[in-house]
Amino acid sequence: MSLSRRAFGVLLASALVVAAACGSDDDGDEGATGDDAVPEGTTIRVPDDYETIQEAVDAAAPGDLILIEPGVYEEAVDVTTDMLTIRGLDRNEVVLDGGFELDNGIRVTGADGVAIENMTARNYTRNGFFWTGVEGYRGSYLTTYRTGDYGIYAFDSTKGLIEHSYASGSPDAGIYIGQCYPCDAVIDDVVSEYNGLGYSGTNSGGNLLIVNSTFRYNRAGIVPNSGSYELCYPERETTIVGNVVHSNNQPDTPAIDVALLAMGNGILVAGGVNNTIERNLVYDHDLTGIGLVPFPEDDPNDDIPPPEDDERPCEETLDDELADPASLPNPLIWNPRGNRVVGNVVEDSRLADLAVGSLEDVSALGNCFADNTFSTSAPQEVETLAPCEGEGRGDWSAGALDLVALIAAEHPPSGDYKTTPVPEPQENMPDAETAPARPAVGLPPAIDLDAIEVPERP
Amino acid sequence: MTARRRVRWLAVAAALALVAGCGGPGGDGDAPVGGAAAGAVRLSPTDPGPQGRVPQFVVECTFSHTAPDDPILHPRHSGRSHQHLFFGNTTADADSTAESLAAGDTTCDQKLDRASYWAPALYDHGELVEPITAVAYYRPGVGVDPTTVQPYPFGLKMIGGDQVAEEPQPLDVVAWSCGTGSERSPTPPTCPEGRPLRLAVSFPDCWDGENLDSEDHVSHMARSEDGACPDSHPVPVPQLLFTITWPITGEGHELSLASGSLLTGHADFFNAWDEDKLRAEVERCLHRGVTCGVASNRI
Repeated sequence: MSLSRRAFGVLLASALVVAAACGSDDDGDEGATGDDAVPEGTTIRVPDDYETIQEAVDAAAPGDLILIEPGVYEEAVDVTTDMLTIRGLDRNEVVLDGGFELDNGIRVTGADGVAIENMTARNYTRNGFFWTGVEGYRGSYLTTYRTGDYGIYAFDSTKGLIEHSYASGSPDAGIYIGQCYPCDAVIDDVVSEYNGLGYSGTNSGGNLLIVNSTFRYNRAGIVPNSGSYELCYPERETTIVGNVVHSNNQPDTPAIDVALLAMGNGILVAGGVNNTIERNLVYDHDLTGIGLVPFPEDDPNDDIPPPEDDERPCEETLDDELADPASLPNPLIWNPRGNRVVGNVVEDSRLADLAVGSLEDVSALGNCFADNTFSTSAPQEVETLAPCEGEGRGDWSAGALDLVALIAAEHPPSGDYKTTPVPEPQENMPDAETAPARPAVGLPPAIDLDAIEVPERP
Repeated sequence: MTARRRVRWLAVAAALALVAGCGGPGGDGDAPVGGAAAGAVRLSPTDPGPQGRVPQFVVECTFSHTAPDDPILHPRHSGRSHQHLFFGNTTADADSTAESLAAGDTTCDQKLDRASYWAPALYDHGELVEPITAVAYYRPGVGVDPTTVQPYPFGLKMIGGDQVAEEPQPLDVVAWSCGTGSERSPTPPTCPEGRPLRLAVSFPDCWDGENLDSEDHVSHMARSEDGACPDSHPVPVPQLLFTITWPITGEGHELSLASGSLLTGHADFFNAWDEDKLRAEVERCLHRGVTCGVASNRI
């Protein structure tokens, strides 16, 4: 709240600057809390100290730990206080239940450093756990199921970690990180199943790691994409390593249109740029195991930024002028570009284990494939055509990916998110009763990517 | 990061306001936009642009029912109105009160939004066309300081657009488009396959602070100009942008509106939001400058 007031105070000054300098960059203090500034907090217990989680959150100060006893809490909790740790004492028995009437289990709006741990959210019309407009977030040992949009959702947020968590029964994605560059975030050890998409991330990336996780029985597994319908385009620099991605052909999940369109693919990069896909185990898909495809955006709001802008932080682009819509092709085609697909084991894909396609010259897009274990590809011999080192050679037209067939495939309609399977009990956080408050600062953790091996088949 | 984001957004809004006030084309919030605005930062209330640019909360509502009723213009006179399409509250009719709506159900994905939204029926060759969906975007008015926006009072009635318009209405108020396209027009365009016909109506965003309605059903509300509400209507409220999408593409349609000519696009809003929830959305989304939701599937 004080930030907003301060922001408005800065408004007048920055408006004057803009007026005077016509586009000069306001680069004032961001006022974020440094890693070493974790305030000492107290412990607040629900329901002993406060009957509801919301009351406890409202009473809490930065640094506080909120401990929640087992029970079913019919609440949609809003968090606007920085640096809280909100923890259930039993992941499977501390249950937030929206009754298909309430929107979000816990929603953190513009409060930095909030960690949510060891609980379940179910039956929400929108999201299970949701951070928006924050710096610093963490979700650990969370379970979500039967949520109308997303399970675990971070939007316009940076410096985060989602770990040891489970999400199922979302028509959109079980796990989503969107609209950030660099995101500086890690998704580690999650299971996402029976969703429209296992993971979705529109216009996210930049030190964004998805590792050691399982995406199965969704319509499609991991689907980052670009589009000018939200900010921070294009999607780029997502690093996907050491995941098990299988059987994402599930015909009865809830699914929005995009999930229906993407059905039958394991890892599908839709118009993404400079992503790294390494050492994943991917199998049993009706279409592609790992596919790099264009994303056609109807009614684009802006043009595709040039490659020289690839490393421009999202923050710097917010004041950019938008292109004249009349000058834009419609649909606007976001091509997959500069993606590296290396060392994956990809099996049993009915269309192609590895695939790359474009409506334009696909050979010019700089995607590369190397050291993968696979049987089929579209185009054929894709590792010879597009090696990660040295010059490619061969005929790109031989066995080229049939994008029309990919899009035109018929899919069973969406199931009802309210009836997706109830998950098995999930692993608890260790020492939930005694572990100290741990607000979401100093994130993301360093991940030793080199130490990650291709997972064994479960 | 979050603080800077807010600062930046406010700076853009303020810069726009200043530019508009320093020799821009009139600085009139109701001035037509479109071609002339191309290349500039687009923040017309009827142009969603990339979501995330402006703090917002969003409610998506499927079609509920039709009735020749109008709880604002013809309360308690069932059948007196032209045919309306109702969204949101499933009980809305000529006899609706805020209290009756509050006890009703809703077709919206936000179950605590029990408001009623309605618009004239659209006919094709004389047949009523059932809409695909509707989306209500709630945002600060263009250039308005988000932290000053107040929730609507319970029971507020308001109208966006002019149901007896004989001239094209300002595109900031009533805009037809194909899909979510940025090309807007005052009457329905011919839309290609895959980009169904859409009507966007923006509502006034300043309230007089006293009246839930007025004799002409309009004068208790006003529109902000250059980011400020007029002294007569000093309370900034969220600017509701209500969009309706119909399954209409291609040639050969003969469209008409129940309210008269195709220039008479408008929409109505009768607030019966759960008061605590609406306050939470205003304070926790708009005041904090964040995006609390985006329209799914972009239709």
